[in-house]
Formats: sequence, C-alpha cells, structure tokens
Amino acid sequence: MNHSRFNWQPVISAAVVVVVAFLVLLPLVFLVEESLNTGDPMAFPPQQFGIANYIAMFDEDINVLVNTVVIALMATAMAIVIGFSLAWILTRTNVRGRELLERLMELPYYMTPLVGALAWSVIAGPKSGFVNQLWHAWGGKGDIVDVYSYFGIAWIMALFEGTVAFVMISASMKSMDPALEESARVMGASKLRTMLTVTLPLVMPGVLGATLFVFAEMLGSFAAALVIGIPARIYVITTAIWDSTLSYPPDYGRASAMGLSLFVVMFGMLSFYRWRINKGSYATITGKAFRPRPMDMGRLAWLLVGVCLLYIAVAVVLPLGALIFTSLQKFATVILSQSAFTLDNYRTALGLGPIRLALRNSLMLGFGVATVGVILMALLVWIIYRSRIRGAGAIEYLVMFPQAVPRLVFGLALLWAWLNIPIPIYGTLWLLALAYLTVMLPLGVRTLAGVVLQIDKSLEECARVCGAGWLYQMTTVTLPLLRPGILAAWLLIFMACVRELGTSVFLMGPNAKVIAPSIVAAFASSGTELTAAMALIQTGTVVLALVILFRLTRGVTKEMT
Amino acid sequence: MRLFALTCALALAAVSAQAQDAKLCDKPRQMEGFKTCADVEKAEAEGAFVLYSTDPEAGQAKLVGAFMKAFPKIKANYFRLQAGALYAKLLSERQAKSYLVDVIQISDMGMILDFQRKNGFVRYISPEMAAFKPEYKSKPEGYWTWGSVIMGGIAYNKKNTPEAEAPKKWEDLLDPKWADAINVKVSNSGLQHGIWYMLKPLLGDDYFKKFAAQKPRAFDSYVQQYGRLTDGQDKVIMGAQYSGAVEFQAKGAPIGFVFPELGLPAVSETYGIVAEGPHPNAGKLFMDWFLSPVGQKALAEALALHSPRDDVPPPAGAVPLSKMKLLIPADWDAFEKDRPSFAKEWDRLVGARR
Amino acid sequence: MTTRIEVADLVVRYGEQTAVNGVSFSVGRGEHVTLLGPSGCGKTTTLRSIAGLEQPTGGSISIDGQAMFDAGARKNVPAEQRGVSMVFQSYAVWPHMTVFDNVAYGLRVRKQSGPEIRAAVERALDLVQMRALADRPASKLSGGQQQRVALARAIAFSPTVVLFDEPLSNLDAKLRAEMRVELRELQRRLDITSVYVTHDQEEALAISDRVIVMNVGVIEQIGTPEQIYNSPRNRFVADFVGSANILKGRVMGAGTFAAEGGTVLKFTAPHAPTGQETEVAVRTAYIDLVGREGDNQLTGHVRQRMFHGDFVQYIVECACGRLIVRRPPTNLLEEGAPVMLSFSASHTVLLQS
Repeated sequence: MNHSRFNWQPVISAAVVVVVAFLVLLPLVFLVEESLNTGDPMAFPPQQFGIANYIAMFDEDINVLVNTVVIALMATAMAIVIGFSLAWILTRTNVRGRELLERLMELPYYMTPLVGALAWSVIAGPKSGFVNQLWHAWGGKGDIVDVYSYFGIAWIMALFEGTVAFVMISASMKSMDPALEESARVMGASKLRTMLTVTLPLVMPGVLGATLFVFAEMLGSFAAALVIGIPARIYVITTAIWDSTLSYPPDYGRASAMGLSLFVVMFGMLSFYRWRINKGSYATITGKAFRPRPMDMGRLAWLLVGVCLLYIAVAVVLPLGALIFTSLQKFATVILSQSAFTLDNYRTALGLGPIRLALRNSLMLGFGVATVGVILMALLVWIIYRSRIRGAGAIEYLVMFPQAVPRLVFGLALLWAWLNIPIPIYGTLWLLALAYLTVMLPLGVRTLAGVVLQIDKSLEECARVCGAGWLYQMTTVTLPLLRPGILAAWLLIFMACVRELGTSVFLMGPNAKVIAPSIVAAFASSGTELTAAMALIQTGTVVLALVILFRLTRGVTKEMT
Repeated sequence: MRLFALTCALALAAVSAQAQDAKLCDKPRQMEGFKTCADVEKAEAEGAFVLYSTDPEAGQAKLVGAFMKAFPKIKANYFRLQAGALYAKLLSERQAKSYLVDVIQISDMGMILDFQRKNGFVRYISPEMAAFKPEYKSKPEGYWTWGSVIMGGIAYNKKNTPEAEAPKKWEDLLDPKWADAINVKVSNSGLQHGIWYMLKPLLGDDYFKKFAAQKPRAFDSYVQQYGRLTDGQDKVIMGAQYSGAVEFQAKGAPIGFVFPELGLPAVSETYGIVAEGPHPNAGKLFMDWFLSPVGQKALAEALALHSPRDDVPPPAGAVPLSKMKLLIPADWDAFEKDRPSFAKEWDRLVGARR
Repeated sequence: MTTRIEVADLVVRYGEQTAVNGVSFSVGRGEHVTLLGPSGCGKTTTLRSIAGLEQPTGGSISIDGQAMFDAGARKNVPAEQRGVSMVFQSYAVWPHMTVFDNVAYGLRVRKQSGPEIRAAVERALDLVQMRALADRPASKLSGGQQQRVALARAIAFSPTVVLFDEPLSNLDAKLRAEMRVELRELQRRLDITSVYVTHDQEEALAISDRVIVMNVGVIEQIGTPEQIYNSPRNRFVADFVGSANILKGRVMGAGTFAAEGGTVLKFTAPHAPTGQETEVAVRTAYIDLVGREGDNQLTGHVRQRMFHGDFVQYIVECACGRLIVRRPPTNLLEEGAPVMLSFSASHTVLLQS
C-alpha cells in the first residue's frame, strides 16, 4: 500500500499561496490605482493619474485627519487604562469570583460596537438621554453628559473595541512568574510599590503591544463614528470614506486616498511593534505558563470587585437595559415620563423579511467561512511554520497583511476590485464570503499558530518515518492534533463574521444582506426603537448560536484547556 | 471590424426592441383596480421583484407588502439608501455587470435624467400613465414617472416650543436661539438639494452662509430627524419632509409643521423600470399596480406620501397638494448640473468637510 | 538558644485539598532548618506560609515572639511587614533591573541613604563574588549568576530570617555542590536564621542543623542530620533519606527481631517498642562484607554487582531476601561469590509501624 507516490506538498502549498496573494494583494493594487485617479472617478482603468487626491486630502480634509487621530488617541488611552486595571485585578489579585468576572469581561465583545453606540446614544444623549433626564428630574440645569462629543465617541470605542487590550495585557500578566512579585513583597515592598516597580515594568512590552494594536484598531473604527460622530458633526476618516463612496457623484479617489493613508499609518505602527519586539531589548517574560498565585488584597478586594462590576455595568448592563427599554417604546420618544410600552417593534423587526434574511445570511456566512477558513488557515499555518519552504516568512507577512488594513478600507478595495474584475459576484453572498475569508486570515492564523507550535515536531516526523505521505500525515496526525485549536479558531471566526460591519457595508446588496449593515441601515431610516429591537435580536441570536455550539462541542473544548 | 459589426447589430436590435415597446399595448388586461400590459403569468413565474428606493425601510416594507398581497406568488424585496448613495450603488453594480434591481425610485431628478441618458431605463408605457400630467413623465413617456411629490417646510416640537415662538418664515431659522438645535438632511438627499436649489435664489446667497453658522446637524432620513425633534434633542427641522410630519403626528408625536409663506420647495420621487433587470415582467406589473390608484393609496398609507394623480386623495390627515404653495424646479437639467457644487457646499455646511 | 520562628498546628487547605495538616516546629536563633520531602508533601506551602505568601487555614506562626499569623485571633501580617527574606526556586531576579538595582531593592524599600545602600549592596555582592557584574542587566546573566544575585538580594538588607525555596534545584549537579558549600559558609558568617526547602536528601543532610522530614502534609520526623540518617523513625524516613534495606518480621523479645526466612537480629529502637512493629531498617552503607563477632550476621552470595565509581553496589541474596550493600570500590567481589554480611545492632533500627 502506498499513499501518494505523487508529492502533494508543493502543489497544495503553491495553490494556497496563490489564492492568498490573490485575495490579499489584488484589492489593494486596485485601491492604489484608484487613489491616483484624477479623471472620471467611475472610469476604469483611470485615464489620468496624479496625486491631486492626496493634496486635496490634506487641503480639504485636514480636520477629518485631526479628528481621527485625536479620537483614536483618547480611545486608546482609555482602553489601555481600563484593560490594564481589569487585567491586573483579574490575574494578580485574589478577588472573589474572578472566573465569572473574566467571562463577563468578554461580553462587550459579543455586543459589538454598533450596539454599544446605539445604547450609549440613548443613555447619554443630550437633553433626552436617560442620565440627563434623571439629572433634570433631580433639579439639575443643562446636561451633565453629552455622548455626541469627541470624548463620547472615544468612550464607546474604548468600551466596545478595547476588549483586546484586556486580553493582551492579561496574557502577558499570566505569563509572568509570580515569584517576581512575591520576592518584592518579601523584601518589604507594599502592594502598590510592587505593582509600580515590578509588575508594570515587566508587562510593559505587552502593554506597548496592546497599545499599538488598539490604536490601530481605533484608527479604523467605524461603528461609533457613524452612529455618534455624524450627528455630532465630528467626521473621522472612516466616516468620510463612507460618505464619499456612498454619494453621487461618488468620490472614489478621495475615499481611496484616505483609506491608503490610514493603511500606511497602521502598517507603519505594526512594523514598528514587530521591530521593537524582535529587538528584544527587554523582552524576558518566558512563554511558560505559571500557576497563578494572586495577591491577597484584604478589604481592598471589595473595591476592586466594585471596579470590575462598574465596568460590566457601563459596558453590558446599562447598554442592554437601555436598549431593551427603548425597544419596548412606542416611538422614538425616550422621555421617561412619557414612555408607552409596546411589543410592536419586535413584531415589525421580525416581520421585516429582509431582516430575517439578513440574520440567516450572516449565520450562514459565519458557518461557511469559518469552516472553509479553518482548513485553509490550518494549511497556511503548517506551510509558514513547519514546511521549511523558502519564503515562509514572506507568506506570514502576506497573511498578516489584512490586519494592517482597516476593515472599511479593505471593503472599499474589494468593492473597487470586484467592480472591475469581470466575474459577476459583486452583490452576491460569494463576494461577502471571499471578503470575510480574507479579513479573517490574521485572526485565524494567529490562533492556529499557537497550537501548531505546541505540537512536537517529532510526532509528525514519526508519521513520515512510518511511511506516510504528506497528505496522509496531514490528515492522520497534524490535523487531528490541531483539533482543539481548530475549534477555537472556528468559533472566533464565526463570531467575527456575524458581527462584521466595516467590510460588509460596501459589499451588501439586495440579495446579499447581512445583519450588521442592515442594522446601520435601520438606524438611518427606522428610528431608534426599531433599531434597538433589531440589535437585541442580533445579540440574542449570536449568543444562542454560541451556546448551542458550546454545548455540541463541550467534549472538545475541555480538551483545549 | 467584426467587433464593430457586432456592436452595430446589437445597437440595431436594441433600437427595434425599443420601437416595439414605444406604444401602449393593444389590449391592456384589467386587473383588480388597475390595467396592465405586462405578462402576469410570466411575472408570477419570475417569482420575485426588487425595488431600490430612498423611502424609509418600514414604509417600503409596507408598500411591497401590499403588492405581495395582490400577487402572492411574487416575492418582493427592497433596498434602501439615500438618493445619492443609492444612485452611486446602482451605477457601481451596473459597472460590475451585477443586475440586481427591477424598479428604482430616486428622489433626485438630476440622477433620473442622468440614468435615462445612460440608457438605464427600459421604456414601458403603462396604461396607468395616462392619468399623469406630461410634466410628471419622461419625454417621451414610459422611461420614468413621478410616483409622488415630496415637499419640505419647517417642523418643531409643540411641547418644547409654543406656537407663537415657532419660526414662521425661512429667515426665522437664522435667529441665534436656534443655534445648535436645527437638523437637516445629508447632501445625498434629493429633497435637500431641491430646498437648496429653490431657496437660494429667493433668499439670496447669504442665506445659507448665515445658516451654516447655526451649526445644523445632518441626518440620513426624516425618521431620525423627527425622532430627535420628538425626544427634544433638536428643536427645529429645516426643510422638514411633510410626509414625515404627517406620519409622526399620526403616531401621536407633538409635531408642529409650518408652511412658510414663500413656499415649500418640492421634488418628486421618480420611478422607472431598470434595463436588464432580473425580473422584467414583474417590474412592469409592479409599475402598473403602483401607478394606479390602488398602488398610490398603498403608498399614501405606507409612507403618507402625496400622489401626483388628481384622482387620488391626500394621505389621511394631510393638507392636499392644491392647498400648498409648492416651489418645483422648472429646469431639471440645470438642477442636475448644480448637484456637485451643492454636495460640496452642503457637506461643508454640516461639518462633513472643511 | 532562643526561639526565632514558632509554627504551631499549621493547617493549609485549598478547597477540598489539605496541603498542610497540623504541622508544628520551632527554629532557634541562628539555626538552619531544612524542610525535606517529596513534591506535594506541603514543605513549600509551609515555607510560603511563614513568608506570608500563603494564607493558612488554621494554627499560628510567630517570629521573635510576635504573632505573624493566628487563625484564632484572625491575624495575618502581610508579607512585606514580616521582615523575613526569601530566595525563590526560579530566583525571581527582576529582568528589567541591573544586578545592583536588584540587590538594592530591599534597602531602598527601607529608605536607607545612598551611601549606606551602596556599601550594603557591595558587601552582599562580595559575599557571592558578583561585585564585578553589578552594572550588568539582570536579563544577561547565566543561571548560576542569577542564583547568586538572588542570594545577595535576599541577604543585603540584613534580614534576621531567610527562607530558601529549593534555591539550587535549577542548577547542574556540579554547580549545586559548589553552592551548597558556599551557602553553608554564608550561614555561619552571617548568623542568620534560615528555613530551607528541598526534595534533595543529600542537600538537606549536608547543610542543615536540623532536618524536618515531611510527607503528605504532616511531619514524619525532626532531628539532626545524623539522627535522621542513623535512626529513621519509620519506613518513609528510612526510604526517603539515604538508602536502606527494610527487613520484615516481628519483634520476639527485648532487642531481638525474627526476620522473614528465620534469621534472628538484634536491634536498637529509637522509641519505646510496642512489640507490634514489623520492620527494621539497615543502611546499605552500614553492612560489612566480613563477619564480625557480636554483630548480626547473615550468609549469602553476590547476585549482582554494579560499579558506581565512588562506591560499589552489591545485591546479595540471603535467607531474608535480597539486601543491597554499598562498599568502597576496593577488594571487589565477583558475582556469585559467597559472602558473610554483618551489621551492628545499633545500625539495625526498629521502625514504628
């Protein structure tokens, strides 16, 4: 018996690389070309080239650029402070119920920034926001909070898109030997002094990495800027791109130039981060996981639990509560004293055929993309980290590329690319599937890489020595060993697809509606009460889908831990 | 050379196809409340129908819902964006050879004329078009027809602003007491363009410069505008779409609507069948149904919009067209040419650009 | 000798699990005590409880007569206020500081003046022969160097009590032996009281004044290294510390034991015998291969011989089973050769059952 005389490895490797290059690079080539188009914006290929779009960007849209940077900086600062405090409390102290709290910390991620922005516009809008109404009822004059401000936008971004800071910083805290802190304590340093002189400097590389990642994310953030920024007359690059693409005459040149400028900044920062980390001047935290030995906080523990609960209140309980309340209102009046309850909004939302369709499409896309994606990504991970082919490092860069491109810009690039590639998949779910697959590459590959690197190479080599061909070895040894990682990646991709907004917003069509952009559309034309009902239906469906998945795969998830 | 010959042949075929469609069919079929030249069986066999429109989603859902009630075998779908965005999307799709839509409604005549020039419309003379005045139809008729007339005035919240203090004239909106409390539509809106286009010559170039100092906020649809008025976040809507006021008043919102003496700028919501649509027969059938009193009443019920037809009553609770002083652009070509500069200026006015 | 550390009835539970179950001992001033036991015996938990890094469930701990922990009085002094010092198994040398900063940490916490700090750090670094590397970043040190820095850091601020948590376990065998000598030397010179945790019995015997053998959360035996080695109290101690032959049988009368196979042995008992004991232990090093009058004597033959270098290990088959004998590598016996084993009654220790 001979399993494959033919050597499949180079063929499959080459095919995968070609597909990835096509998915990742081609749209950007189109985008660069369009940003240099100074003639008719709809003409393809462009008839006149020049840098007029870039000059115009600095000339006419300098306020947009400034807004973008200011808001991103504010949001990053908030996200890092919140993420660091929560990570420290939950990994380094012995407050009660840490596991439950940690689960709860993930909830804002499931809620999506769109839902968060909607909710906070209801909570802290001027005049009619709940907080201000309570303030007025209490006899206060004027408004005490106004979410329609730079701070408001940054606040929502930090709460709902800053979760990554918490995750990254806790990871670096978890990988720190607790004895490093304990020895300071035994030497006589107080808890605060220990944190400032030992914990903080040691997790600094992790914090720096998180800062750069979050800043990059904030630059490309879209949802809060759309829901809160436009009414506040505060435009950022993403909303300006959205605006100039979806208007007549469309200004693809302006949009492309802005998108590329954002891309250049993000790419620069991620490169800086990699360079800094690789230089390893002070990276000394080992990858080894330590048994956590949290510090006893005594009575202070209650205060710390309070901090966690406060975060959960502003990021989960308040927003959900506000949305539920609003969704039960008869119409946009959210004046508390005039509330009139009704279930009509849920009836209408569920009655809107397209919304049901959008939700179904999103779940379907999530399922399909996650399934196809993990196979492709597992192959990629193997090629990059195990195959020892030349240029594996370049492939890694290629795969991680979409990370540096803001979602919205990638959507724009794809729109432009597929308007001009003579394969008619524009306006269909196929294009959305391709887009999702591409933007999910970094997420999936990163997750899977962690698992692949843990598999002892000899397990694979053993299969080869035993006479298995490459294909046989992959299917009988490598992939089964990867199973827990594959499942984790699958769930992440599924979630990310269902909540995808930035890319989908340009690629959705009447026959290819997906849920997040549909909610944006509803927000534009259906009133807050109906939008709130839709957002809640989306959140509920996603949570339900995840619960079912977790149930079905419980055996395998246990293996993972 | 061969390519050239082929193109000519195709062009000839297209022309002859148009010529055939150019006159009303011989025997329009009488349906329930309307006449049609469409092949109803084929339309039902197509089984689906797609409408692109600028009207708010909930209203559109009701409208296509009424159509589906009449023709349960046809699954009607819709897609909503503001006029400029919708037209940009439509053109993008056609460039990508994705033909997804059967009938479009755009509230900006400039875009309608542009699309007609691009041969985007199929010519189909509905038996119902006879009831529309010539100025409400394409020349020659059959490419596009006004489905409704929309007009913009001033709206305020009666609970927060007593009637005596409410603005009466367009000029009143420049009063500093409305600073930071006015909302308008985005530059993508056709009605907003109409308001700009008609009021600027009447009120002077200065008017909008001063208006910009009031720092108005721009929204995508009247639902958001009236919503913010109702909950007190804004005090006044400049260029408030009348149908929105009617709709919100019917729901019990304390909306006051002012008809300024100078007049209400008005534009049309124009409908046409799109060339290469995926369901051509269903498109024709929809057009016949929609332009008939049945469809027009459904529109009034769904979106409180005024029909251009004289034989259709105004929406419940609304002032009839005949009682309003409307300011309708006379030269649509000039209107169309004005759009790019309007878009830029309006973006500046609402803070979207410097 | 005054008492420096007093641990009484210490209990540490993690949920359902009991890590330490009623441990009591005291450490005298200047004394060097080692907690010895297999992994999971509770020795590290006991040490960490003394440091204040672990919250015990019951019992009390006092240092210099001051209660540091008292379950009854609900008292638990935080680690930083106990005034003890500790060397960690992983060294826990802070990689973001220089060697000097690491060692100076405890002095800076105590707000000493600059010159004082400098002098104390240099003194400590001299003791571990690391002064030349004072300005080096700690991340650029080898394992042995990190070990020395950790040690210098622990003693620099002149603590009265230093706790050692398996400080040598990450070093290679040769370095470990060297450090052992240095540690012992340092203890003598600095007059510090120390508690040392290790699972290496050789290390424990070599560097301690007293050894506490622990197993599954309780103390098996406390004694000087000689007592532990020569008079193991029970089978666990005999087995875990050094190497011993365990002979089964029963106590016949005063001082005589009938081993399986019919051999009668004279024994000594560190405790008052109950008559119910079933085992005696004989250290492999205490068995001679020449017959000596008055001692316990057995005949047998060499079944296997293994040459270890420093010693030779024979497995001898005799009436009471197989016995392991370790002798110096002189006068080698061939496998199969008949031998006469003898060992004194004082080396035949009756184990508590």
